[in-house]
Amino acid sequence: MQTQSQLRSLPESLRALAANKLTIAVGSVVVLFLFGEIISAGFLSFGHVMSVLRLSVFLGVVALGQSLVVLAGGEGIDLSVGSVLSFGVVVASSILKGKDANIPAALAACLGAGFAIGMVNGVGVSYIGIPPLIMTLAMASVVEGLSLIYTGGYPSGTAPNLLEVLGNGRVAGVPNVLLFWLLVITAVSLILFRKRWGAVLFGVGANGVTAELSGINVKRFRMFVYGICGAISAFAGFLVLGYTGTPYLNLGAPYLMSSIAAVAVGGISLAGGAGSYVGAVIGCILLTTLSSILVALQTTEAVRQIVYGGLLFVIVVAYTRRRRE
Amino acid sequence: MNRNRQVLRGLPQHSSFPSFLMLVLLIIVNAILQPTFFSYQVFKMNFMTFTPLILVSLAQATVILVGAVDLSIGAGISLVTVAMASLMGDSSLSILLVSLLGVGVALFLSLFNGFFIGFIGPPPLIMTFATSTVWFGIALLIMPTPGGYIPEAYYSLYGKSLGGFLPMPVLVLLIAIVFCLLLGRLRAFRHLYAVGGSEAAARASGIRVTATKVFAFLVSGVFTALAALCVVGQTATGDARSGQGFTLNSVAAAVIGGMAFSGGRGSYVGAIMGGIILGLLINIIYFANITSFYQEFMKGVIIIIALLIGAVPRLRRSISRR
Repeated sequence: MQTQSQLRSLPESLRALAANKLTIAVGSVVVLFLFGEIISAGFLSFGHVMSVLRLSVFLGVVALGQSLVVLAGGEGIDLSVGSVLSFGVVVASSILKGKDANIPAALAACLGAGFAIGMVNGVGVSYIGIPPLIMTLAMASVVEGLSLIYTGGYPSGTAPNLLEVLGNGRVAGVPNVLLFWLLVITAVSLILFRKRWGAVLFGVGANGVTAELSGINVKRFRMFVYGICGAISAFAGFLVLGYTGTPYLNLGAPYLMSSIAAVAVGGISLAGGAGSYVGAVIGCILLTTLSSILVALQTTEAVRQIVYGGLLFVIVVAYTRRRRE
Repeated sequence: MNRNRQVLRGLPQHSSFPSFLMLVLLIIVNAILQPTFFSYQVFKMNFMTFTPLILVSLAQATVILVGAVDLSIGAGISLVTVAMASLMGDSSLSILLVSLLGVGVALFLSLFNGFFIGFIGPPPLIMTFATSTVWFGIALLIMPTPGGYIPEAYYSLYGKSLGGFLPMPVLVLLIAIVFCLLLGRLRAFRHLYAVGGSEAAARASGIRVTATKVFAFLVSGVFTALAALCVVGQTATGDARSGQGFTLNSVAAAVIGGMAFSGGRGSYVGAIMGGIILGLLINIIYFANITSFYQEFMKGVIIIIALLIGAVPRLRRSISRR
């Protein structure tokens, strides 16, 4: 693929660039920011752009788990990411109790709980053969119940100072979490495109049968991908707690729909096996910018739901038409 | 005699057989937990909640039959309740017209999904997930908080009994069953199985695949519409969240009833049993007297267990194939 695209003539590669989903996504982000500046002055200021990017980080982390699950194919998708994030928030805060010294224990508990939930998804999908969307939808209500049981309806504890400093601090005007995200993007891209694990992921996603024939245990691999996605979602809860300071139930709810939309906008094939995390990252920025504009327009929850759902609908339909051609 | 024995031996192979066993078992468990289980009052109360469950199970079963799935059933029901509660007045003409409008809305929503899935062909899961968010948003737009007005004449009707012995929910169910029987006589209904079994083979034998898929969603819409009318009778309000649980419940009930996700296998009898089974399972949670915090959790666990049981025949088949 790499060499092929280098051999293309200039007009041809320009046309390919215009048809590329990522180019369209990046273009949309620019248009949205310009539109934002028109409806509310200061939208394009450095400070505001940074705060939009900082908000994208949380979605970006959730979308990482979602990307991996979708990339692994087999109609992979995880509808429990929102509930797992919420669970991560309440578990972390109850262990942290506002003390810096508790951070390692809380982080470990958070990752462990998320991983365990994800593995249950993975077993159900891989070994029992329940369709991923249904399995994770059922799991979402189980985990929501778990959060209620764990907290008794009232989440306890707060984020310690250190976590808040890390979550809200800035280096030369750039939020810490944004720097952290850049690190994650680089690391993930390296793993996906330079390491064996990434190659296996794409192979399993593109065609499970051929992957199985070349000696990969596809079922076990997919199961672990769900586990990883669970751990990442719970970790996102840890980060969100650092941002809000105090825990609430259902902090994860808004992230579910957006994470799927971000993955689809970012050009990751919902059939699996094709796409990149960088694409999902652009999708996250696009969606966060969009929601920031919807907030600036003072729209209600209802309008936001319609816009998000409509956006995903348009993407899904547009993608299908292209495939048919 | 010989023939009878053959029929008996074939029984366990029937796709609805595991559901039937489970149904019998659950009726026994319920009867033990609740000594008044077979009384008329309990029967009537149970069917007030079972009927919507059975109807959404039938709705989901119809689309699963053609190899699709509809995740927007719950949000569709919410939207109908909200529309009806915001428009209905006291006069019987208003009640009739608004109920018809509710049915129309449900049919339109289902056809919208069916049209896109049939003619353009996006993955039904993602497509209906997207539209469910849109339906939910529209319902919230109409009614940000639960409310509206449903006249007493409407909701008390749902609690009444026809001729003193036939509860309204059961009557609605009988109407649905008659509808199922009529459907079974149509050639288009057999095409649902053909398309679900193998789209390519169905197309090759001259079946109009697109039209069949749209037909499936239309039929599914009829069941969803009936379910929505029942939910309005049951809750007597419009609530943008009232349908939320029905999506997952409909899938679970259909799967418990022996519908195969790959399409082309299963029956309405199974789907009806699936709805009753789920209702009886949820009943047990209430009998067990557990706090409300655990109820959500238990429901999710039960649905996952139900999905496991639904997967058992397939697992057995794949093991015996080795």
